[in-house]
Amino acid sequence: MLLAATEYVRPASLEEALTALRANTGARVLAGGQTLINVLKHRAASVDLLVDVSRLAELRFIDVAADGSAVIGAATTYAELERSAELRGAQPLIGEVAAGTVDRQVRVRGTIGGNACFADPSSNYPPLLVALEASMEIAGESGTRSVPASEFFLGLYRTAVGPGELLRAITLPALDGAGVGYRSLQIAADSWALARAVAWVRTAAGSPRTIEAVRVVLGCVAGAPVRAGATEELLAGGPASEQAVSAAAALAGEGLQPPSDVHASSSYRREMTAVMAKRALLDAIGGAS
Amino acid sequence: MSTPPGETTFYPEVEQSDRLGVWSGKSVPRKEDKRLLKGQGAFVDDLWMHRQGHVHFVRSPHAHARIVSIDVSRAEALPGVYATLTGEEVGELQQPFFQMAPEPAGLMKDYCMAVGKARYMGEPVVAVLAESAELARDAAALVEVVYEPLEVVVDGIATIEPQAPVLHEEIGSNVAWHGVYDYGDVDWALENADHVVRIDRLHFHRFSSTPLETTGALVNWDPGTGVVEFRSNNQMPMFAAMFIGPAIGLGIDHMQFSSQDIGGGFGIKITSYTYLTALALLSRKAGRPVKWSESRWEHLAASAHGNERTFLDIEVPVMSDGTILGFKVRAFDDAGAYLRYEPLGAVIWAQVVPGNYRFKHVRVDYTETLTNKCPVGPNRGYSRLQHLWLIERIVDIVAKELNFDRVALRALNYVQPEEFPYETPNGCIYDSGDYPAMLEQVLELIDYEGALKRKLESAGSGKRIGIGIGSTLDSGTNNFGQSRIINSALPFSGNGEAAVVRLDLYGEITVTIGTSPQGQGHETTAAQVTADILGCSPDLVHVAAGYNKAANTYVGFSGTYASQFAVTGLGAVMGAAEQLRGEIVKVGACMLGAEESDIELADGFVRLAANPEAAIPFIGIAATVFANVAELPGELADSVTLNCRYVYRPPFTVPDHETKRGKLTLTYASQVHAAVVEVDDETGQVTILAYAAVDECGRKVNPKIVEGQVHGATGHGIGAALYESFEYDADGQLLNSTFADYHAATSLDVPHIATGEIECPSPFTPNGAKGMGEGGGAPLSTIASAIEDALPEGAHIVFDSHNNSERVYDLLRSAALGGPRGVEVISR
Amino acid sequence: MATEGATVHAIDLTVNGVAHSTTVPARRLLVHFIRETLGLRGTHIGCDTGNCGACSVICDGQLIKSCMMLAVQADGCEIETIESLGEGPDGLDPIQEAFKEHHGLQCGYCTPGIVLNAKTLLAENPHPSEAEIRRALKGNICRCTGYVNIIRSIEAAAGAQGA
Repeated sequence: MLLAATEYVRPASLEEALTALRANTGARVLAGGQTLINVLKHRAASVDLLVDVSRLAELRFIDVAADGSAVIGAATTYAELERSAELRGAQPLIGEVAAGTVDRQVRVRGTIGGNACFADPSSNYPPLLVALEASMEIAGESGTRSVPASEFFLGLYRTAVGPGELLRAITLPALDGAGVGYRSLQIAADSWALARAVAWVRTAAGSPRTIEAVRVVLGCVAGAPVRAGATEELLAGGPASEQAVSAAAALAGEGLQPPSDVHASSSYRREMTAVMAKRALLDAIGGAS
Repeated sequence: MSTPPGETTFYPEVEQSDRLGVWSGKSVPRKEDKRLLKGQGAFVDDLWMHRQGHVHFVRSPHAHARIVSIDVSRAEALPGVYATLTGEEVGELQQPFFQMAPEPAGLMKDYCMAVGKARYMGEPVVAVLAESAELARDAAALVEVVYEPLEVVVDGIATIEPQAPVLHEEIGSNVAWHGVYDYGDVDWALENADHVVRIDRLHFHRFSSTPLETTGALVNWDPGTGVVEFRSNNQMPMFAAMFIGPAIGLGIDHMQFSSQDIGGGFGIKITSYTYLTALALLSRKAGRPVKWSESRWEHLAASAHGNERTFLDIEVPVMSDGTILGFKVRAFDDAGAYLRYEPLGAVIWAQVVPGNYRFKHVRVDYTETLTNKCPVGPNRGYSRLQHLWLIERIVDIVAKELNFDRVALRALNYVQPEEFPYETPNGCIYDSGDYPAMLEQVLELIDYEGALKRKLESAGSGKRIGIGIGSTLDSGTNNFGQSRIINSALPFSGNGEAAVVRLDLYGEITVTIGTSPQGQGHETTAAQVTADILGCSPDLVHVAAGYNKAANTYVGFSGTYASQFAVTGLGAVMGAAEQLRGEIVKVGACMLGAEESDIELADGFVRLAANPEAAIPFIGIAATVFANVAELPGELADSVTLNCRYVYRPPFTVPDHETKRGKLTLTYASQVHAAVVEVDDETGQVTILAYAAVDECGRKVNPKIVEGQVHGATGHGIGAALYESFEYDADGQLLNSTFADYHAATSLDVPHIATGEIECPSPFTPNGAKGMGEGGGAPLSTIASAIEDALPEGAHIVFDSHNNSERVYDLLRSAALGGPRGVEVISR
Repeated sequence: MATEGATVHAIDLTVNGVAHSTTVPARRLLVHFIRETLGLRGTHIGCDTGNCGACSVICDGQLIKSCMMLAVQADGCEIETIESLGEGPDGLDPIQEAFKEHHGLQCGYCTPGIVLNAKTLLAENPHPSEAEIRRALKGNICRCTGYVNIIRSIEAAAGAQGA
């Protein structure tokens, strides 16, 4: 509960923040602190310098373009995402996921960037960002580099953000009529997730409707989000029917070794992954136009 | 009425006070609320003493390990570190704690910190005292302890096998207690019944009520007076004193205890006497006050857990009309690594041997065992919870296997209203109740008929509806003589609580009680009954907040625990208030020149009933007795002090050690709950669609306070049934020791609770009230009942008191998988 | 403190309308600053993972958990703790009155956080439904009341605020 001694700086600009990060290998970015402060309370990591970016306007913004694409600053809070009507119109899941995050106190301070960079298997944004094919804008000494979400999450607590860098923003392509489904199985309401699946579906008109393109991304099963390749293959080009979805979703857990822990066994997690995949797909198909 | 051959004596019927009419029974707003709402409460972490140091405990990371060496030199070298205290020192400074268990378990050497060996993960090993909490924490990281890990045992049954590692060498095994409770003739019943239902195994899990405020204390061993002052949130301070005193060689008169506001106790703050002992020793060594605030992970790992109990080889004889004759069972209670309030739990359950039912033949082969886990404490519902859950599972399973309607089967087997007072197979007396009426009421509240329809309609929808029922008892005011059933050499029996009601120098009415409330509203209810007896408003009655040994009055059992305040605490207050009333009337009659029978009390005045103008305010009475002493008439000088102390003692006798029979509790409040749940067929997730609770606790002093206790106990029970369970791995590591992983039920988890009530006054208490508050854990059986009702045909029985979604998922699938269901029926 | 080692940081903040200018070490949590440095004991600590909400305070008009924020991060902020409600040592504001009338507290340990939660909720949403109230309370654990009377108290307070 009591933190170890540490240092703190609140840079006035992104440039200053990057300088501070470069100068000290034991430095960590502090945004909302809703994860990092717990880590520090339990002395689970040793941090020499906290670089507080929570107030930087360069990292805290929501820009929605006319075409429905969006750029979100990494230090934008869950509450801000939940409140944004513009964002709700163009990228409904971003605000929806924010609204279901933990509790209202956490939502005031916690940020989408903090969530993504923590990269815990049960973090709620990583699988969504991979499914949406977001681009992660990483700022460093030589400017900003763009990394696709699918290459950003490297494993348990590891992302593509390197030393001296920080996540500046997340770019979301326009949905353009695609439907997105997001389903979690939690130990209790708005609590730890045991299984999570995100589906992105573009359908083609017809009767029956067919699945033109599909992405199914699984959270909670491994260090980084996992694409349910077998599920996607079976669905692509086929009918957007409940039967087809059930059959394909049943494959979602195959070959995966989710962890066993105090909350659930590996096999239950695997089986629930398939159920969440099915439900997310049906939601996505329902939402696609 | 069922009476065995020979004499059955119930308790004497107590004449109910006819004065409790104006304020008792009303939901008077609480006196405590203003300060609590404004953040003006004085909880232990809010307290501060000049020169205090802060304590941090170094704790064993191993569940079982020899302590090879401890090096505190680096910690002590840090500027600002005042002192350390190790187990090695404690072994010299402290006599082992008094053990209630008979030998060999009574030979256990239990100290306030690990001496030579750590026996559970989180056991304190070294205490570090420093000028700030941060520094104590930092210094603790510099303490070097070398451990030699030993084999670990976490299974509460396997722990008594010969190959299991023994925790306490001086005992020689991990058996804390064993006994067989045998009432009626269960062998005859099993031979002659029309059916015998055999249940392989039922398991009641380990959880805790986790009060929101953790344990804490500010302790000062004053070198000048030799008095140790404990400002702590221990909820049974005199019990603590009885253990601490002999351990550190202090008389009770040299220990001072006080608390004002306690942030929840629920029985978990009873066994903290071990920590208080360590803090006292540290204070003496350092020559300073020591302050300690337990962190949440320490609380979850190393304060106290509720008892975990496994029931094996259950056999239930049933007649073809549905009469359940009783049952036989082997029970194993896992007490963790030390016996801190145990093994009392090995007999406390016997307060409710047949539950709400008329079972006559019960045999319980009870073994209490030790494992490398956190020691248990009397968690809300202590020891009865587990047994009552077993009984409700038996009733539901019998109903299902023999095709009886669960409602009808309960109604048939319940103790009937006309049978009260009812003597149970082991001689306990159920004072009053009407379980059938409560069952009817709760089913109405839940819209049982509507739920049955909903259940039919839900078939095939992927959401299964289940309806659950759970009945329970909250036995209150216990006879500590039952401890002699466990160990005939123990010097305890009966119960008691003390109160002083007095007029202060200017006629103010003040009350002090031996209780240590943690939110039950004692200041308010004590003021209500005092106000009734003295004929004034509760606003004129000042009840001292909290517990203070120096200012309050107490007896050996003083504290707030075990569902008894309305009887013992208020019984004491009523007795003292009546005495004071008598004295005021005496003085007033004298001053008014009237007969005592002419006098009435109203609004803080003594007056002539026939002529209310002739009145003396209480300040006048007080002045006569305290200040105008020479003018006090002779006969009054000898008999009036206006300082009235009364000890309420329930009419207990000592139970019989040999037959294990006796009157173990004075009152029996009861609750019947019902729930409608929806189970997701694909995931096993359970959603509560509707929940209702009907309670009966005799005459209510403050109905809103009572209802609040019903809500709270229900919240705890729902939390435990669906969300809360302590899980240890094979190495004795507690896997969920923070609120991140031990999910205390939130506002999204506990549904709306519809409540109903009936009142069956107790004939045995001075106010017709019954103690209540623990609740009896009805949600645990209600939700198990509801889940089982939702399962497909052929599924395994619900065998555990904790059912998270994975367990429910496995139960759902068990039907298709086939295999043993955990139950079989043998019919003649 | 001799043993701190780390540097201290200057902060200016307002707490319950009173301006404070002081220094804090980086590691000091806001809740400890409030309780130990300012001596405001109404804000409580109930856990060590930011789950229980007993430490909730209002920061710049929003409800936050003060154990999940460093004191240094509160620089420039306006903090309101439970002590800011009700006139003087005895006055209760309408929300507190509603809790008293409806028995919305028992041990009182979660109460300051819950009352501040109610205050910010009713400021944003003057007539919340039961579901909205439950949602809002999710981050505040109560072990005594089962939440039923807390919800009743908040509904009553909403009603008392007028249609």
